[in-house]
Amino acid sequence: MKEKLDFLSELGSIGASYATTSLSKMLHDAKLKLTVPQSRILSFSEAANFIPNPEEIVVCVYMRMIDAFEANIAFILPLKSALTLAEYLTSEKSDHITELGQSALLEVGNIMLGSYLTALSMLSGTKLNPVVPAIAVDMNGAIWESILADAGITDFVTVLDTHFSTDQLELSGHLFFIPDHDFYQFLTRKVSGFLLEESK
Amino acid sequence: MNEVFVNMGQIGVLRGKGVLVTVGLGSCVGVSLYDPSAKVGALAHVFLAKSRANSDRELMPGKYADTAIPALIDFAVKAGANRNKFEAKIAGGAHLFDNLRSDMPSVGQKNVEAVIEQLNNYSIPITGKDVLGKRGRKMSLYVDSGIVVVTIIGQESIQI
Repeated sequence: MKEKLDFLSELGSIGASYATTSLSKMLHDAKLKLTVPQSRILSFSEAANFIPNPEEIVVCVYMRMIDAFEANIAFILPLKSALTLAEYLTSEKSDHITELGQSALLEVGNIMLGSYLTALSMLSGTKLNPVVPAIAVDMNGAIWESILADAGITDFVTVLDTHFSTDQLELSGHLFFIPDHDFYQFLTRKVSGFLLEESK
Repeated sequence: MNEVFVNMGQIGVLRGKGVLVTVGLGSCVGVSLYDPSAKVGALAHVFLAKSRANSDRELMPGKYADTAIPALIDFAVKAGANRNKFEAKIAGGAHLFDNLRSDMPSVGQKNVEAVIEQLNNYSIPITGKDVLGKRGRKMSLYVDSGIVVVTIIGQESIQI
């Protein structure tokens, strides 16, 4: 299991770096700091407590992909960061997420999550088709449980979390990769493939 | 006031006073049972409609609609409620990612339907509801009065 998680962290690290590079380009090469992705397996109760402030308002761009494996990826910004980013992109100042701001954020999320998928696709040697992203501005807890329920998570869940921030703009957020259970079968095939290659 | 938070999949019970709160209901459904004469209230945060055999339904009955309703009744009766006096209120079952809507019923919709079916099976009247839509909710049951307050971000709280 450990090698699968390590492999998963590696995938996530490269995925997140692709995603934030594309964000940086949209921000005129602002420097983005990334944490090392944490891949964790949470029990259902741990997953229920995973979000520290469930009432906090966040903006979430979300994709559920059904392909060689099924997984959810999400780009989550606290409201303040989302407003900063929306203002930067649209030159429109507002104390709430406007329709224009929302479509700009959806597009940014689409590009970032698309880059994340491109990295996963390359690394795993699997063709992954992009899917239509969705956006929600709501309570963090409501978004989190909706993603878990969408994935049909009932016992444990694997969460790969990368935090990013930049000082040039008051902006920070999270990228989540939440694979369904069949991802492990997929990984087992891939990891044993890699180990075979290495032992040659 | 004594506030008890009911997390995803859990059930909370109070008698006499205090408030049972569940935060961040997205596709999940909050179900409250209240006996006004005993002032006993119970609240479940239901995650999915149906449990499966060999699942954690015994450990966490509040997680599934089919196990949450009988467990709520049990918990409330043990706290002194009369099982013939229950009034139920429900909130949640939203579909947050609105532009991904398909012809299939959403998880939230299935949850709402399953909860209503279970309450009907146990002949518990539903005296208030605020369900479906595309916004997350917070639900609070005030045990001294039986009032349930539902809050959606950016909107005035409502009583159901």
